Amino acid sequence: MNDQNPIPPQIPPQLPPVMPASGPRPLGDDPSERVAIPNVIVAIEAVLRHPRRVMFQLRQPGAGRLITAMLFVSVVCALIYGVVAGTFSGGTQLWAAPVKIAVGLMISALICLPSLYIFTCLGGSQARLIEVGGLLAGLLMLMTILLIGFAPVAWIFSQSTESLAWMGTLHLVFWFIATLFGLRFLEAGFSHSNARSLAGFRTWVVIFLLVAVQMTTALRPILGTSETFLPTEKKFFMAHWGDCLKAQDEASKSESR
Amino acid sequence: MYALDELNPREISVLLCGEPERIAAWAGQWSARRLALHVVVIIVGAGLYGAAMGWWRDPQQALFTAVKFPLIILFTTGGNALLNAMLAPLLGLNIPFRQSFSAILMSFVIAAAILGAFSPLLAFMVWNAPSMSPEAVSGSTYSFIKLTHVAVIAFAGITGNVRLFQLLAQLGGSRTVARRVLFAWLAVNLFLGSQLSWTLRPFIGSPLLPVEFFRAAALHGNFYENIFHSLLQIFQQFD
Amino acid sequence: MHDHQPVRLGSIGVFLRARPELLREWVLRRQLNLVMFCVVAIVIGAGVYGAVMGSWRGPWQALYTGIKLPLAILLTTLGNGLLNGMLAPLLGLNLTFRQSLAVVLMSFAVMSLVLGALSPVAWFVVWNTPPLTAAMQLSSPEYGVMQLTLAGFIALAGIVGNVHLLPLLSEWARSVFTARKVLFAWLAGNLFLGSQICWVLRPFIWDPARSVEFIGREYFHGSFFETVFEAARRLILS
Repeated sequence: MNDQNPIPPQIPPQLPPVMPASGPRPLGDDPSERVAIPNVIVAIEAVLRHPRRVMFQLRQPGAGRLITAMLFVSVVCALIYGVVAGTFSGGTQLWAAPVKIAVGLMISALICLPSLYIFTCLGGSQARLIEVGGLLAGLLMLMTILLIGFAPVAWIFSQSTESLAWMGTLHLVFWFIATLFGLRFLEAGFSHSNARSLAGFRTWVVIFLLVAVQMTTALRPILGTSETFLPTEKKFFMAHWGDCLKAQDEASKSESR
Repeated sequence: MYALDELNPREISVLLCGEPERIAAWAGQWSARRLALHVVVIIVGAGLYGAAMGWWRDPQQALFTAVKFPLIILFTTGGNALLNAMLAPLLGLNIPFRQSFSAILMSFVIAAAILGAFSPLLAFMVWNAPSMSPEAVSGSTYSFIKLTHVAVIAFAGITGNVRLFQLLAQLGGSRTVARRVLFAWLAVNLFLGSQLSWTLRPFIGSPLLPVEFFRAAALHGNFYENIFHSLLQIFQQFD
Repeated sequence: MHDHQPVRLGSIGVFLRARPELLREWVLRRQLNLVMFCVVAIVIGAGVYGAVMGSWRGPWQALYTGIKLPLAILLTTLGNGLLNGMLAPLLGLNLTFRQSLAVVLMSFAVMSLVLGALSPVAWFVVWNTPPLTAAMQLSSPEYGVMQLTLAGFIALAGIVGNVHLLPLLSEWARSVFTARKVLFAWLAGNLFLGSQICWVLRPFIWDPARSVEFIGREYFHGSFFETVFEAARRLILS
C-alpha cells in the first residue's frame, strides 16, 4: 500500500555536521583517557585536568559508579559551600543554607534533565540518557568544586558586610562563574557525541540558568533569616530581588538619617 | 627543617632577572627551604615598605603597617590558592597545585623585593616631609606621598606580573593560555586583595584619628560597597 | 551508522535523532508504526504538559487540560489532513494524503515530546506562582509571568517541531525552496484551525468568570478571529 509512492527511496547526500571534520579528537585516542576512575579524588582531578577522561569513562559500562561518585562530591561540596554561605547570618542558617543549596542544586538538575536529553537528541547527539545524566553530574561536580575555591573569598566578605543584597549578588556572581565552567564541560561532552547542532543545547542552558536562579527564591532564605524553613509566600525571582533591593535601600536611607 | 643560614638570597636575583627556565624548574619541585625564603622575602620586603609608609603618622603606625602589609600578600596568596589552582587547568594550563601556588608566590616575592628596595627612598621622602597634621593632609604633601606610593606599588606589581606571565608562558608553551590564566589570577587576587586591604586599614594613617591596628569599623561594610556608595553620592549630586 | 537499514522505532531517542532519510523511510515503509508512535507521544507529552498547565487552577482543571491539549493537536492534524494532503502536491511536493498526515503528525509528536520534557520545568514555574486567590486577576504580574512562560514553552516546542520537519521535506522535495513553501502553507492552515480549536476548548489555565468545566457552552459563541478583529477595531476606533 505504501509502496505506491512513485518516487523510489533514494539515498540522499548527508547533511553536513556542525562540527568541522577536523573537529574534536575522538575520545579515548589517548591511552591515559582509558584509565578507569577508581575514586572521588581521581574524579575531581580528572574533571579539572583531564575532562576527556571523564567523558570517555561515562561511555563505558559501569558508568553508574562514576556518576554516583560525581553526585556525591557535588553534594559534599555544595554542603561545604552552604556552611560558608550560612556564616553570614549564623544560627540556624549554618545548617539550613547548606541543606538548601545542596537540595536546590540536585532538584534543579533533576527538573532540567529530561529537557536536556530531548534537546540533545534533537541536535543529533548519539549520547544515551545515562551519558547525558553523567555529563550533567560532571557539570554539578565541576561547579561545586569551583565554589569551594571561591569559599575563602566568600567567607571573608560574609564576615565584613551586613548587606544582604551585596552578599546575594556576590554569591550569584561566584555561582555564575562556576556554572560557566560547568557548561563548558557539558558542551565539550556533547561535541563528542556527533551533535549536528548545539542550538537546542544553548536553549537548554537558558532554561537551566533560569531554573537555578528561581530555586534560590523558592528555597529562600538562604542567606538571611526567617521564622520558617521554607517561604510561606510564592514569588518569582525578579520580584524577590526587587523587594530585597528596596529593603536594602530603605535600610541605608534610615541609617544615613 | 632547614636552618635559616641555608637560605640562598641569590635566588632572589634570579627571580628579578626573570630566567623562566630556572624559575619554572623551581616551581616544579616542592622545597620547604625555598618556600621559607620566599615567605621571608615577602615579610621583610613588604614589611620594610609598610614601615616606611606608616612612619609619617607615627612609629607605632609604622610597626602596624609593617605587620599588615606582608599579611595582605600572604592571606591573598593563601585564600585564593585553591581557586587559582583550579582556574589554571580549566583555562588550559595543566599545572598542579604546588606549581600554581609557587608561581603566584614568586610573583609576590618579586614585588616585595622591589618594594623593600624602594623602602629607604620612601623613608627618606617621609623624613623630609613636614610632620603629619590636618594642614599637611589637606595640602599637596599628602597627595605627593600618596601618589608616590601608588607609583611604586604599581611598578612592583606590574614587574611581578610580567615575570609571572613569562613563567606561565614557559610552563604552558602558549602566550595566549598564559595571558588568559594571568588575567583570571589577577582578577581574583585583586578582588580578594582589595577587600583584605580594606579590612586591615589604615596604612598611612590620619592625623585626626588615633593610631590603631584595625579601625573599629574594620568588619563593617566592604571595599566594593564603599565604592558603590561613593559613586551613588556623586550621581545624587547631579540630581 | 543506521542510515540505510530500517531501525526499529522503539524509543524516543531513536525517533528524535533520526536523520531525514531515515524519517522518510519510516514514512514510506513503517507508516502504521510511526503513526501509532506519534499519537502516543502526543497524548503523553502534550497531556502531561497540559496537566501541569491546569494544575495551577486545581486537579480537575489539570485533568481537563491534560485531555484538551493533546485533543487540540490531534483535531488540528485530522481537520487539516485533507487540506495539507492537497497543498503538498500543489506546491511541488509529491506526497500522498497518508504520507502528509504522517509527516504533520511527526512534527506534532516532536513538539509534544519537547513539551513533555519541559513539563518538570513548567511544573516548577507553576509551583512558584502564588496560588489562586480572590485578589488574583488576569492582569496580575505573577499570573502574567506564568502564562507567558507556559506560552513561551509551547512556542519553543512548536518551532523545534517545525524546524525538525524542514530537513525531511527538503530531502523529499530535493529543494529547500519547495520544502519551505509547503511548510509555510501547512503552518498557516494549522495555525488557522488550531487557534479556533483552542478557542473552543478554552480555558487551559483559568477563566476567572467561570467554575472549572471541560467545555462551557458559551465558548461556542464567536470565534478566535472575530474576537481578535473586534479587539483591533475597538483599539483603532478609540
